[in-house]
Amino acid sequence: MISTIDTISVILLLEECYEDQSAYISTIDRVFSDIGAPYEILVIANGTGNFFRSRISQIQGISHRLRAFEFGNRTTQAVCLKAVLKEVKGETLVILGAYQQLTDDSIRTVVDAMEDSCDVVSPWRRKRVDPPFNRFQSRVFNWLMRWFVGAKLHDFSCTVKVVRRTVLEETELYGNMFRFLPVLAADRGFRVKEVPVRHLQERGKTGLYRPSDYITRLIDIFTLFFNTRFTRKPLRFFSAIGIVFMFFGSLSMLLLFIERFFFNTPIGNRPFLFLSLLLTILGVLVSSAGLLGEIIAFTNGRKKREYTIEKTI
Amino acid sequence: MQKNTRADADKKVYLSIVVPLYNEEESIRQVTDKIVQACSRFEFVWEIVFVDDGSTDMTWQLIEQMKSSINNLHAIKFRKNYGQTSAMVAGFEYARGDIIVTMDGDLQNDPADIPKLLEKVNEGYDIVSGWRKNRKDSRSRVLPSKIANRIISLTTGVRLHDYGCSLKAYRAECIKPLKAYGEMHRFLPALASMTGARITEIPVRHHPRKFGVSKYGFDRILKVFSDIFAMNLIVRFSSYPLKGFVLSAVPFMIFMVFFGLLGGLAIGLSWTSGKAFFFMMAAALCGVAVVQLVILGVLGELVINTSDLTHARLPEITIKEIAIDDQYN
Repeated sequence: MISTIDTISVILLLEECYEDQSAYISTIDRVFSDIGAPYEILVIANGTGNFFRSRISQIQGISHRLRAFEFGNRTTQAVCLKAVLKEVKGETLVILGAYQQLTDDSIRTVVDAMEDSCDVVSPWRRKRVDPPFNRFQSRVFNWLMRWFVGAKLHDFSCTVKVVRRTVLEETELYGNMFRFLPVLAADRGFRVKEVPVRHLQERGKTGLYRPSDYITRLIDIFTLFFNTRFTRKPLRFFSAIGIVFMFFGSLSMLLLFIERFFFNTPIGNRPFLFLSLLLTILGVLVSSAGLLGEIIAFTNGRKKREYTIEKTI
Repeated sequence: MQKNTRADADKKVYLSIVVPLYNEEESIRQVTDKIVQACSRFEFVWEIVFVDDGSTDMTWQLIEQMKSSINNLHAIKFRKNYGQTSAMVAGFEYARGDIIVTMDGDLQNDPADIPKLLEKVNEGYDIVSGWRKNRKDSRSRVLPSKIANRIISLTTGVRLHDYGCSLKAYRAECIKPLKAYGEMHRFLPALASMTGARITEIPVRHHPRKFGVSKYGFDRILKVFSDIFAMNLIVRFSSYPLKGFVLSAVPFMIFMVFFGLLGGLAIGLSWTSGKAFFFMMAAALCGVAVVQLVILGVLGELVINTSDLTHARLPEITIKEIAIDDQYN
């Protein structure tokens, strides 16, 4: 339960234009006035400022606790959050998307789940209402995340997140990393909790996405994998790959060598020979990229603290 | 954000003992007693800095209990397990002593050796490393570490018998600016040599582990070698990355010339056509590697040049005034 003294800051990231957004905002206002704690609502029109301003008359009068901001050009959610952080009064931040994704009760559940012993609450939509194909895609993505990044969550695509202010301050958020905020926060040592919620509706694209979307997702997963493990010891990552290449390269070279000198078979025009040469060189190149990585980590990484301190006595 | 500074910063402390702890509930009381026993004779002000590296057992609770009876006990609690390097760096940052002694929290080191270390520091050394001359570990454990010590000593030029010994004494100004990261704690003396620190070692006692077992596997050996390589690169070449990369390109240049010559011979003397093709391709591939390595080196220069650390050799404390007696003036 959130203590009644702390202000809750509700951040609405409006990235798409929906006609019922004013109704959505008033629903959110009602949900939070029911909770009873002091709260504020910060609406961020991320590239949808024109639409938002044209509906301003509907939104005016919903609540005196409401403030609105706009980004002229659409930017990433990470930038929006980092930018709005200086306007935020509360210690607990509730981040919501452009439409109501969870039921009123579930939003309440997620906010209530924030306790002293946790820093991030991530909702898990147990019964999803979007088409089966989307659910399947989502499932594959979540499975990849668990398998590759070792994240212990089940639902990364939900737009609702409750975090403590310090989490946003101390976590490196950039690009499209907002989606992975719980994972990044856990990597910084914050305690993450997952609560089951009820899915109300899903808007946005259904069916197959563009191929570039899938590639982006995969790259995101790889970025997370690298960032959470190897940013301070890049050589380990690169040399592990390089050694595999070099191993197979020299192994096949050895085989050819034996063939040439013990069985007297000519090897000059064998594709195998070029493969082994290429593999060896590739191994060297990959490992040397790791050396450059070490130099970057040494010259730039020293400024940043690798660890996070919970308390000192 | 939790700041790594303290309220009682006005008191002058001479010695700080930094102990990283990870799940040491069985031994922490004994460790503390031994430190207190060893240090109670000191006339100067000293302190203990425990760093709880995200323990999942009762370690932190025990520290809090002991804090009530031991005044000069301080502790840092990490949010999660970050490894020994981070724990030590956090401890260094928090410690206020002129001299910092690090040691293990599992009773392998003996705090009774601390006075010996201090004596050596007072002789004018900046870093005094412990050397477990009679190690009480199994052979399978001692041998790989002996090899690693030899390699680190030979390659970095800082000759020590026992890099792995946690019991070490540092002059604070030599260790605080280092800001190690990753898994550098094993190499701190080598890293500190970049600051011009004077380093020596003395034999210390070693007790076998009482609780828990340490892991040593093949992958760990690979990791340590990768770290040794990285450490050498940093210690030797971080001021001149291009030089380092060009040096590693030298073998490929030699191969390139060698294969190129053979290729020329093969064409000139009309060997079988396959040979000429192969030698030329091999020469070209080696050339590709050379170009790539040089390009990476240039990128390295760019990185160094644009970083805030204008001179990677840590100029902070390289210069020391030599005391000259009047009689020479």
